[in-house]
Amino acid sequence: MNAWLVLETGEVYSGLWHSGKDRAGEVVFNTSHSGYEEIATDPSYFGQIVCLTAPMMGNYGVDQNVWESRRLWIEGFICLQVQDSDRDRSWIKRLDEDGIPLVSCLDTRGLVLRLRSGGTPWGALVQAETEAEAREKAAPLIAAKKTIDKDWVAAVSRREVEVRPGRRADGPRLAVLDFGSKENILRELENHASELRLYPSRASARDILASQPDGIMLTNGPGDPADVRVATETVRELIGKKPIFGICMGHQILGLALGGKTYKMKFGHRGSNHPIKDDLLGRIYMTSQNHGYAVDRATLPEDVRVTHVNLNDQTVAGIYSEKRRCLGIQYHPESCPGPHDARDLFRFFTEKMT
Amino acid sequence: MPRRQDLRKVLIIGSGPIVIGQACEFDYSGTQACKALMAEGLEVILVNSNPATIMTDPEIATRVYVEPLRVEFLEKILEKEKPDAVIPTLGGQTALNLALELHSKGILQRHGTRLLGATPEVIKAAEDRELFRDILDEIGAKYPASHLVRTYEQGLKVAEELGYPLILRPNYTLGGGGGGIAFSPEGYQQMLVQALHESPTTEVLVEASILGWKEFELEVMRDGAGTFVVVCSIENLDPCGVHTGDSITVAPQQTLSDREYQAMRDEACKIIEKVGIQTGGANVQFAVHPATGERVVIEMNPRVSRSSALASKATGFPIAKIAALLAIGYRLEEIRNDITKTTPSCYEPALDYVVTKIPRFAFEKFAGARDMLTTQMKSVGEVMGIGRTLQESLMKALASLEQSPQGIPEVAFATDKLSYPNSQRILHLFQAFRDGKSVAEVESLTSITPWFLEQIEAIVKFERTLRDEFPRHPERVLRDAKRRGFTDARIAAVTGGDERDILDLREKYRLFPKYQQVDTCAGEFESATPYFYSSYWPERSVALDFSHPVVVIGSGPNRIGQGIEFDYSCVRGVKAFRRAGKKVAMVNSNPETVSTDYDTSDVLFFEPLTAESLHEILRFTQAEGFVAQLGGQTPINIAPKLVQQGHRLLGSSLEAIDLAEDRGLFSKICRELDFHIPNSAMAGSLEEALESEKNVGYPMICRPSYVLGGRRMEVIESHEELLSYFQRHGDYITMDRPCLMDQFLAGALEVDVDLVRGADWCVVGGIVEHIEAAGVHSGDSMGVLPPQRLKDETCRRMEAMSIRLAERLGIIGHLNLQLAVKDDIIYILEANPRSSRSVPFIVKAAGIPLVDLGVSAMLGRSRDEVKPERYDWRRGDTVSVKGVVFPFKKFPEADSILGPEMKSTGESMGRGADYSDALMKAFLSSHMALPQKGEIFLSLRDKDKEPLLPLLKELSGMGYSFSATAGTAGFLEKKGLACLPLRKVHEGRPHCVDRIRSGEVSFVINTTTGRRSIEASFNIRRACTDYSIPCVTESDAAEAFILALKNVRRGSIAVNPLPPMEAP
Repeated sequence: MNAWLVLETGEVYSGLWHSGKDRAGEVVFNTSHSGYEEIATDPSYFGQIVCLTAPMMGNYGVDQNVWESRRLWIEGFICLQVQDSDRDRSWIKRLDEDGIPLVSCLDTRGLVLRLRSGGTPWGALVQAETEAEAREKAAPLIAAKKTIDKDWVAAVSRREVEVRPGRRADGPRLAVLDFGSKENILRELENHASELRLYPSRASARDILASQPDGIMLTNGPGDPADVRVATETVRELIGKKPIFGICMGHQILGLALGGKTYKMKFGHRGSNHPIKDDLLGRIYMTSQNHGYAVDRATLPEDVRVTHVNLNDQTVAGIYSEKRRCLGIQYHPESCPGPHDARDLFRFFTEKMT
Repeated sequence: MPRRQDLRKVLIIGSGPIVIGQACEFDYSGTQACKALMAEGLEVILVNSNPATIMTDPEIATRVYVEPLRVEFLEKILEKEKPDAVIPTLGGQTALNLALELHSKGILQRHGTRLLGATPEVIKAAEDRELFRDILDEIGAKYPASHLVRTYEQGLKVAEELGYPLILRPNYTLGGGGGGIAFSPEGYQQMLVQALHESPTTEVLVEASILGWKEFELEVMRDGAGTFVVVCSIENLDPCGVHTGDSITVAPQQTLSDREYQAMRDEACKIIEKVGIQTGGANVQFAVHPATGERVVIEMNPRVSRSSALASKATGFPIAKIAALLAIGYRLEEIRNDITKTTPSCYEPALDYVVTKIPRFAFEKFAGARDMLTTQMKSVGEVMGIGRTLQESLMKALASLEQSPQGIPEVAFATDKLSYPNSQRILHLFQAFRDGKSVAEVESLTSITPWFLEQIEAIVKFERTLRDEFPRHPERVLRDAKRRGFTDARIAAVTGGDERDILDLREKYRLFPKYQQVDTCAGEFESATPYFYSSYWPERSVALDFSHPVVVIGSGPNRIGQGIEFDYSCVRGVKAFRRAGKKVAMVNSNPETVSTDYDTSDVLFFEPLTAESLHEILRFTQAEGFVAQLGGQTPINIAPKLVQQGHRLLGSSLEAIDLAEDRGLFSKICRELDFHIPNSAMAGSLEEALESEKNVGYPMICRPSYVLGGRRMEVIESHEELLSYFQRHGDYITMDRPCLMDQFLAGALEVDVDLVRGADWCVVGGIVEHIEAAGVHSGDSMGVLPPQRLKDETCRRMEAMSIRLAERLGIIGHLNLQLAVKDDIIYILEANPRSSRSVPFIVKAAGIPLVDLGVSAMLGRSRDEVKPERYDWRRGDTVSVKGVVFPFKKFPEADSILGPEMKSTGESMGRGADYSDALMKAFLSSHMALPQKGEIFLSLRDKDKEPLLPLLKELSGMGYSFSATAGTAGFLEKKGLACLPLRKVHEGRPHCVDRIRSGEVSFVINTTTGRRSIEASFNIRRACTDYSIPCVTESDAAEAFILALKNVRRGSIAVNPLPPMEAP
């Protein structure tokens, strides 16, 4: 059967169907050359159909050790070519087991140019004989997807508090507000902390403070930060009381809690090659990125400094307030996939701030 | 940080003549750097001994010195120019080694000049394998078990410890020179002696084998603030054991997980930091165990390289330009990304396509050389194919090799062609799957990563689909075939049709390639630079902001006979067309070149130079016309097909080309004009050859028609040799492609004439007199301008004849002629209706912008506009000698004797106040030592003895002593010259070759003719090649060599920049 990607704005792309069921999601692209399994298991991709720009995916098979969470979150996977030989078709199988549609042989570059100029719309991957049939099948899927609760963070966050030991006995005890955390944020923190206490996204400030953490981590997560109201209120209460480090969604929520505003970017940043100027560590380096929203610089209070800037487009990539002891980083110092260049920010948080 | 204010003038060192391992990629890098620094308002002084480079064009730098790349000349230039700094990282290993020498001799310090880009410490850390291993230990990086060996005895001990196979890597050599893989003690001992000899520091790293490991390379950059980026990752299809320059490589890497890749990236960053590279580009090579994933570091180079040129072309990231800007103080974030024009240069390119590089070899040029690949580089050029998938890119690269229009022709499969790496292995990989081998079987024979093999297997499987399903579903199957990179020719061969039918079908289904942009960012940002490749995957092409460009067809991969000289013509031509207000599209497949720099032309198509691909480009761009006379023989061969398809050829018409190239037509014209030509005949078979034997007469030259660089061309002295020739080369001779038999003008003086003709004007660029007599291929012969032995009257006659011939042929643009003079009669040997190998040399020697004039001719400019009388090649007051360099060292079984088959890889130029000065510089620039004392070994054919006597007496007077085998020794004794008699090889040991190999001999004069005596003296020449002892094989060359020796003794060293060239 032919595979189709139907965008709500009307464009249709054809390809070859490999796995899964018809599904809808926000259509985004990622320019990383490798790391498909990390991307698929990153909760920040909740609700999204991801198009990888690199020509082939699945090349080096699968490995559960690189998972960034307990499951796959994407709604669909698009690439030009996928590993499909007798020796190894594990990536196709992996996606199929979870019912995730995988479509190859699609003009991914054409799609990327469309997303770049027109933004990231809703779309659906469907199987159909004809384009007309594909449109018919896609419309209800997209409509249904739009009705789900907009607080995506609550949808992916853990339900229970979890305590994990750290690897440094003399390190700080950290509270982690889970907005859809990637495993590697936790692994990095474990290297520097004596204990991690992980809270669901809607945990109250009182509960969190009750355990008397030395610092609080706000993790990455999916969706529009403006829809994550409960957590934003919680963070507002926490600011000033404990050192806070936010990554990605955590950074955006911190921005909102500080009184700033966020906005939807045209097509976001997703890839492993984004240059960041880091005034805090005094370096320029390559980073792993995955976000569709950003903090508006003009809306931030005066004591909050924009310490990190994305050099491609000068957007806010990090904020820091010495007074309120909080740091927000828009990109992914935990990498996975991507370069490790910003890893020292975890050290900065655990050694300088807490 | 803005650029440093303490720099006003910098000296850039080029890489010298093209040799295996160091080719025109350094012209690309150096040109880019010069342009960038000039744009910054710096004074740029350039030194390079290679006249065929774009970088030595006068306008590229403030002042250009075409001088030998040797310390004594560099010192003179430093004295004269007093630059603030020297940039040694753009001219390959040659420049690095030279910089190190300038430093260790205190010359840089004395002139208050510093090194930019790499300090002596950095160069040493990366090049000295022991120091480098210490650094790896410090950062915890692994490397193969190895020992640094300084003596033969120590080497033997080390071998016992490490076990076989062993890899030998001499310190401070280029392209793995002198190294190799030893599988047995016997081979090892022999290689060890050679390797110790090759290393300038007599140090060889002997390494436990990592044969069969996966090989990777990261191209990285770092700025003064420590910002580090990986520009490109490269994965080798050929596992460890084959020099990376001889490997098929793919970018970006395909088989490492993100974890493995990031760990490799981290390690590269640490190495760069620890080695102490402050700014610039570097590469780090790694090997990864296919099963355990264990990673070791192979080596790193703190400079731009062949692979950095490839990485630049693969990604659009101009490494050399940025390295130059970083060297003068800029930071990566301050330099704009040239391609997008909106983002900064501190980023890592994201690719949404795959790039495949395939080397091109020249084993067939070296009789006896074994086609086997090891750690010593042997390829002479390379192609790059860009496609949306690995399959498309690999197939495009194979088509780009210009070896078969089918790209993957069927071959007679042989297992040893898989198991022993060789130049044809890729074709045998395809054939293995056609013949039913499995991926696992092929993997066990080759250790190639199964992922690559599966891609190849899938292409072969598709051949079956193509054959079976094409008749029923032509449109779908054809589309799928094109997406897998099949050429029309291959599709036709598989489906049993004609190439033309496939094109008709594609037209019927509107199945055309779509042109995509190399944009550095996988489409993330809008990008302004038209650097294109084609693919059958996308649904639409990018828009071109103009139409009707002039399309200049490049020269494809470097090969012996067609190299950088043609890229010079192309680039110069593109510039001239642009100056005339034309939009120019450049097409080429060679990633080493300046022509494939995205800012050379208005639009760059990185595409195979096949009729199919060019037809599509001409169609897509709605070209005004195409230029076939700048890129050598490749475009000339394609031109008829393109004209047939309705495209317009600029300059000389097809008819003019045919008149010049068709032997029959050409002879007719010469007779009509009353010009002498050597007796000749054509023979489609041995029988026909024997019929013409008498008419042509011996000696004669035989060669198959339509050959480049004189392949399979031989001087035949007798009936027996003619029989043998047909026996050996009969396969290349048919009634359609007959053997050309020409009278050989023994002892004649040969010249090259290059001219440009417009409709009513003509400019002769110059006459290059060959130093070797007729019989040595013009590409291998040294040459001099102005002529030193020809009478002026003869020169004028030659010019007049050349002009008349150009008129009669109807040439518009370039014409290259080879003429010979014997007994005052001028013979016309050959006409090439195109720019030639000698054009760049002539341009620089005579200061006439010949290529620009060629463009004026193609644009139809009149005599009044061009004012041809402005140009007079006799006007200059310097003498220029063209030197040549040969790759014999790399081919241990090959003979260094010169003949009608071209063997040289590159050329140099010596400019001097007189002939001897120019000769000296040309020899030095061609890496020939000029020994000032010692023993000369002579082995002369009888007819040379008497004529050489005055020279030998002179040498004796200069204090040289002689040795020779019995015949020659007796002759010298009789003439009153003392001579040490030596045994011939068959007379027992110690013999003359032993004496040469033991280092007792300073240089050798060995003249010989006839197959048998050539074979008998092979060991003499081979010993000279192995030990870098000058060996002159022609009496004329011996005279020239001795002239140069005298000049060295005069001890005067003068350096002068090239004069400005008059703009057309």
